[in-house]
Amino acid sequence: MNGPDADAPLVERVKLGDVKAFEMLVVKYQRRIERLIGRMVRDVDLVPDIAQETFIRAYRAIPKFRGESAFYTWLYRIAVNTAKKALMELKRDPLVSESSRASRDDDDETSRVENELTDGETPDAVLASKQIASAVNFAIEALSDDLRQAITLREIEGLSYEEIAELMNCPIGTVRSRIFRAREAIALRLRPLLDTRDGGRW
Amino acid sequence: MPADFEVGTAALERLSALVDGELDADAVAHACARWRESEAQRASWHAYQLIGDVLRSDDLAGDPARDAHFMSGLRARLAMEPVVLAPQALEAQPADVALSRQVARSAPARRWAWLAPSAVAAGFVAVAGALMVARAPDGGAPSGVPMASAELVNRAPAALADGSAIARQRPQADDIRRPPPEGVDETSGGRAFPQEPQVLVANGALIRDARLDRYLAAHKQFAGTSALGVPSGFLRSVTVSGSDR
Repeated sequence: MNGPDADAPLVERVKLGDVKAFEMLVVKYQRRIERLIGRMVRDVDLVPDIAQETFIRAYRAIPKFRGESAFYTWLYRIAVNTAKKALMELKRDPLVSESSRASRDDDDETSRVENELTDGETPDAVLASKQIASAVNFAIEALSDDLRQAITLREIEGLSYEEIAELMNCPIGTVRSRIFRAREAIALRLRPLLDTRDGGRW
Repeated sequence: MPADFEVGTAALERLSALVDGELDADAVAHACARWRESEAQRASWHAYQLIGDVLRSDDLAGDPARDAHFMSGLRARLAMEPVVLAPQALEAQPADVALSRQVARSAPARRWAWLAPSAVAAGFVAVAGALMVARAPDGGAPSGVPMASAELVNRAPAALADGSAIARQRPQADDIRRPPPEGVDETSGGRAFPQEPQVLVANGALIRDARLDRYLAAHKQFAGTSALGVPSGFLRSVTVSGSDR
């Protein structure tokens, strides 16, 4: 693990009973957890439910989390266990459709096609996601070198502000400011794409 | 602190630092406190996190409407969960009751649950007292910390209201409770608090907080009020036995 866990301040708040801090962590990890579960469970429609179940179980178990591993490592394990449990239950239920019970090794072409038309993979959703990826990449390229380096060292290399300050030979305050300005510059391009139709959904 | 719906540049920069885990505890508490009031803050948090995800992997780009939909579904489920508290060592902290009330009025509704160790109760419900969160980093009174104790204090009467079962149990719990120190006056705002901790902890979990008891005693008018049908923000009594979770 690179240095201290970036989630530590929020996890501390959750342990103090702050549910909002937990919501912030959910917003952070929802996509990653769904992707992980999607790799284990064939039926895409089940992924959000299993992901929600994962977060609820994590929330209940927070008092037991002692920071011996990174928070995400711990959350990851809970996700895997929750998905496994869901798969076991599916296998036992005779009424569940063939496609959700099939393992990922299945080569059945028809059920693959059926699955592709579920929620997260409609043409609109795929397009939205491509547009977002493209906007982020474009915006990164358009950043000045300092800003791009700062955010890359943080987000991709996982370095702390202190380490980045040393590498870039500048004060920590400057690192913090550069990373913030990089994020805002990218967010500027992203916001139009992120506005959900019924505003205020967050 | 009035609820504000705009998020200034400085606040966004602090949010950005929080994304990286590089923000002090007070400021973290502030940010969390504003989470529900400020849609702009929530949207920025989501955007900053999404940026990080996409930088690391294009296939995390996802559909934003889907993300928001996920969150509202989860929030509904989270709202049904008793709030978990991780008991920790506590220090005595002056609690300004008047300030607490004022702050609590502007705080979003929250649910508290009393956790109790199953070891204490073999046959009776052990009731945990208030967990006065005492994490004052530099002795000043940042609004983050009083906010936590304020919501606790504000919700405390509901604990009594939530079930006369709790009130009935108190005499038993009293046996192991440390008596409140002399001369502490509720109305003085609690400035006369002595140094020693006033909470009783057994098996690492909080059983009784003498300050809560005094507060509850001073506000007896809540005893016997039914909490049935009251919307969110009120306490539930929780029985925890070893095998449940």
